[in-house]
Amino acid sequence: MTADDTRVPMAGDEKVAWVYGSTVLVTSGAYFVWLAIQLANHAPEDIFWILPMGIAIAASMALVIVVTILASIGAAVWSAVRGRFQEPDFASDERDRAIKQLGDRSLLSALSIATAGALILAMFDASGFWIGNYIFLVCSVGALAEAGTKIRAYRRGL
Amino acid sequence: MGGPKPTRVSNRIRDLRTEKDLTQADLASRLGVTRQTIIAIEQGKYSPSLEMAFQIAAVLEAPLDDVFSYKGDDAD
Repeated sequence: MTADDTRVPMAGDEKVAWVYGSTVLVTSGAYFVWLAIQLANHAPEDIFWILPMGIAIAASMALVIVVTILASIGAAVWSAVRGRFQEPDFASDERDRAIKQLGDRSLLSALSIATAGALILAMFDASGFWIGNYIFLVCSVGALAEAGTKIRAYRRGL
Repeated sequence: MGGPKPTRVSNRIRDLRTEKDLTQADLASRLGVTRQTIIAIEQGKYSPSLEMAFQIAAVLEAPLDDVFSYKGDDAD
């Protein structure tokens, strides 16, 4: 086996994209399932949505940090257990930056849609419930698109 | 890893690197990039910047158009 045949670990930024996408999927998904159940039983103005949404956002941020650190430690320990040298995966280069820009463009598109939609809802005097949840939904979809775009670029090229 | 190549730029980096007895890790280290990036370039999954292309050619001591070639629209 040549040096080129040794397994190369997943790029650090790709790992973060996986963790970020999975976390947003779980936390935002849990929030919207909860919201759908509430909507089935209560009028929108009776739903206390601010704290649960805040918890979902805070949980997303905390989980991304914690899971990324734990995944890095776990990968290093696993490599050590198998007697393999784990190459440092925290470095990023011009390819990582190009992929980040690609992901940022997806997120920016979602934020533009969120802003325009929120403006239209405000123009029609929609309640804070609909404006807040609409923005959170579009931003969650944008975050998933960002993570998906990055993962696709790492896997299939750009 | 298989899959379609998203770039029309092909290269002979692997051949030239082997001739000079350089590993992917060696080349990555000389260029200041990750080994994943060298693999992506060799597999045609990433087209490097013009600056990095020149750096690769310099490390491999080969003219740029000997390292990289562009498959035009008629290559399909």
